[in-house]
Amino acid sequence: MPAPLEPHGGRLVYNVVEDRDRAAAMTAGLTKLEIEPTVGPDGAPIRNPYREIMSIAYGFFSPVEGFMTRNEVESILKERRLLSGWLFPFPLVFDIDEDKLKALGLKEGDKALLTLKGKPFAVLDIEEIWKLPDRKEFADAVFGTPEKNKEVVKRRFDEKHPGWLIYRSLKPVALAGRITVVNPPRFKEPYARFWMPPRESREYVARRGWRVVVAHQTRNVPHMGHEMLMKRAMFVAGGERPGDAVLVNAIIGAKRPGDYVDEAILEGHEALNKFGYFHKDRHLVTMTLWDMRYGNPLESILHGIIRQNMGATHHMFGRDHAATGEYYDPYATQILWTRGLPSYGINGPPHEIDKGLKIRPVNMGEFAYCPKCGEYTYLGISYGDVKEAPLCGHEPEKISGSFLRGLIIEGLRPPKVVMRPEVYDVIVKWWKVYGYPFVTDRYLKIKEGELEVEL
Amino acid sequence: MTYKIGLLIDEKRYEAIKGTPLASNLRSMFGGEIRILEVEVDDDLAKRILQEFPAARVDSRGFIEDLPVAFRRALFEAVAATKNAGREALEKVLQRMDEIKAAAAKEKEYVPPPA
Repeated sequence: MPAPLEPHGGRLVYNVVEDRDRAAAMTAGLTKLEIEPTVGPDGAPIRNPYREIMSIAYGFFSPVEGFMTRNEVESILKERRLLSGWLFPFPLVFDIDEDKLKALGLKEGDKALLTLKGKPFAVLDIEEIWKLPDRKEFADAVFGTPEKNKEVVKRRFDEKHPGWLIYRSLKPVALAGRITVVNPPRFKEPYARFWMPPRESREYVARRGWRVVVAHQTRNVPHMGHEMLMKRAMFVAGGERPGDAVLVNAIIGAKRPGDYVDEAILEGHEALNKFGYFHKDRHLVTMTLWDMRYGNPLESILHGIIRQNMGATHHMFGRDHAATGEYYDPYATQILWTRGLPSYGINGPPHEIDKGLKIRPVNMGEFAYCPKCGEYTYLGISYGDVKEAPLCGHEPEKISGSFLRGLIIEGLRPPKVVMRPEVYDVIVKWWKVYGYPFVTDRYLKIKEGELEVEL
Repeated sequence: MTYKIGLLIDEKRYEAIKGTPLASNLRSMFGGEIRILEVEVDDDLAKRILQEFPAARVDSRGFIEDLPVAFRRALFEAVAATKNAGREALEKVLQRMDEIKAAAAKEKEYVPPPA
């Protein structure tokens, strides 16, 4: 089936009111509720619900139309399905303090005008107000435990896991209901040129006549290992010229110290087609707003949904997909997409079950540089007793992300076999802006103050 | 268990160790594009280093990574001075830990970009 595939759930959500008069009529007299970031134990912002609102309203999470009711959340925790039956991995919760709710006097059936930095942004139709359970237990239920989900969870989640910490840190009450953006924000540069919500990206894919579109998930500046994965994934997906392409979709949201800065991630991928490493007609760099939950197999379902909605036909999944630390089996995502995860209520691969996804997986192992061969070699995937092993008969060198960061911060230009020079130049460009090549506490404060948009 | 810290050897650093046994122990990576001097770290010292620098971590190759630049620079100076890529050099560095941590704290917010 050529791209774009049908949206997840059969209909693309677009809850955005662009007509100013209509928006004014919708918001007149509504109680205002300021969107606040979720903060971690040290007071640092770890999530901003505005990003979820944007992703919901512009259709990235179709068929989800708003924040979830208690029943919907319970359905997700039981079998990762919306009440409509469609597969969806994470609870989406708009949380609020009890005192604040009381002071505002909002009740079920009301509409609230959500404001962002004091300015009107979206309307929430409050369908239900419900109390969250113990947040620690809630966070465990969202991600899994080694006892309950032993097929992929290797150790108990804790405060060091950014996604677990988000759910652990939610305020005690949830407002559920449909979301409508009534004041579409303007993206700042460099974000503006990468913002291509599903309605636009699907049109773009159709206009180009692309048939096979392989999605690449990223929160990283691309090194050569990433580039090898993207290029080889196209072979595996059966791509042929000229109607096929790689859709890079960067997840932009709360960062952690040590990550690459968002601007460098986007422009780093852009550099690959700007300088011809990807043909400009076969490569598209885009972004989605979401504070990563690092849920490995669960996050891969969300990524599949986002990219199917954006028009992709295939999704590449590599080792340790959307992971941090050693909570999950490094190939948990591949296990999900080949066998399913029954302990999460997912009894088959997400693209083979009823009301599952239509996008197809391209499961990939790692590539490493072999100095003897003078090229990258495939190491494959390790599972059970089978361990990764190079296709060539030598000893290839893996690109360790932390090794590469060490090289960069010592001011050394990575060799061409590790990183394209133009990509490194992008890192240095943003290093000069922020005084550091990676995310710092200072960067986090700047970003929370500025956000990616202006209203 | 033994861990490693990989010190990147550029031309300037190579000059400092040229002619010593250390120079013949360099490991070449990525087809000779990078030279590394591997410093062996025993279990006790590894624990101490990881404790002193919470952002540091052991990667899948058994290397201690995400160390401050100040630590790596001090380690190279100690290695070059002692002509030793093991415990002796590391102990010399640990004696300067307060000074290194002070420099590392500043470096969390600013490291001059390459010219």
